Amino acid sequence: MLCGFASLEEVFRTEFGAVLQCSNKNCYWLEFAGDCTPFKVTDFLHLRRKIEEINLSELLFDPSPRADFTIIMPFRSQRCFVLSVSDVLNLKELMQGAKFMMELPGIIKDCLKAAPTSPLIIG
Amino acid sequence: MKDLLRLKTSLNEEIEKILNDQVKVEAHSSAIYLAMSSWCDDQGFDFSAGYFAKQAEEERGHMLKLFNYINDRGGKAISPEIINVPNDFESFRSVFETALEQEMHVTAQFNNIAEKCFKVKDFVTFQFIQWFLAEQIEEEYVARRILEMFDVIGEEGTGRWEIDKHIPKVTYNAE
Ligand SMILES: [Fe+2]
Ligand SMILES: [Fe+2]
Repeated sequence: MLCGFASLEEVFRTEFGAVLQCSNKNCYWLEFAGDCTPFKVTDFLHLRRKIEEINLSELLFDPSPRADFTIIMPFRSQRCFVLSVSDVLNLKELMQGAKFMMELPGIIKDCLKAAPTSPLIIG
Repeated sequence: MKDLLRLKTSLNEEIEKILNDQVKVEAHSSAIYLAMSSWCDDQGFDFSAGYFAKQAEEERGHMLKLFNYINDRGGKAISPEIINVPNDFESFRSVFETALEQEMHVTAQFNNIAEKCFKVKDFVTFQFIQWFLAEQIEEEYVARRILEMFDVIGEEGTGRWEIDKHIPKVTYNAE
C-alpha cells in the first residue's frame, strides 16, 4: 500500500502519534514511534482491539522481566511493535481517540437522518 | 472525510462482539449436548443419547446461523474456543436439569442481545434474533416437559427405562 501524502487525512493525533486515513486506497495509517504503517480497515480494527485488550495493571504488577515489554506482530504487516508500558499507554490513548473520530461521521449522519423534520438550529 | 468504517461493516462494534459471544454460547451448548449424549449412551439410555445428539447438531446450526450473519453484515465472525465441557453427570435426572439450565441461560443471553439492539437502534439485528427468541420457547418447553416425566412416571423400577423411551415423543406445538 502506497499512498501519496497529499491523500492522507488526519483522523486523530496525540503527542505520541497519529492515525491517518487514505480515502483513495481505503486504508488507515498508524504513525507511532517514528514509523508510519498502513493497515487495511479490518486489520486496523483488529490491531486496535489487540491494543485495547492489553491489561495494563497486569503488566504493572507482574514483577517478571517479560512484563516489561509487550510484543504485537500484526498479520500482513511489516511492522512489529515492541511496546514498553508507557508505549502501551500512549497507544491505547491514540486508539481510543481514533475510534471515537472514526465512528463520529456515522453517528452524526444517523442523527441527521433520524430527525429530518427538525433541522439543526445553531445559535 | 470518507466513512471507511461503515463502508466495511454495517455492524456496530458492540453488536458484533455480543453476537460473537453468542456464537460461543451456542457452540458450548452443542458441546455440552454431545457430552450428554455420550453419557446417556454409556448408561444405556439409548433414546436420550439420540435426543442429545440431535440437540448437539441443532445447536451447531444455531451457531452457524449467527456466524454467517456476522460475516454477511461485514463483521468478522470468530470460530470459538470451547472449554469447560462437563463429561460426567450425577444422575439421569441431573442431565436434564443441566440441559434446562443451559437453555434458560441461552434465553437470558438473547434477551440481553435484544436489549443491546434497542440501545444502539440496530433493528436489523433485532429482527434477525426474533427467530432465536421464538426457538427458545420450544427449547425450554421440551426440557421442562421431560423433567416433569421424572415425577409423573417416577424413577423406581423400570421408571428410568420408561422415561428414556418417551424422550423422543416430547414435542412442542405452538397451536
Ligand atoms: Fe441454541
Ligand atoms: Fe437450545
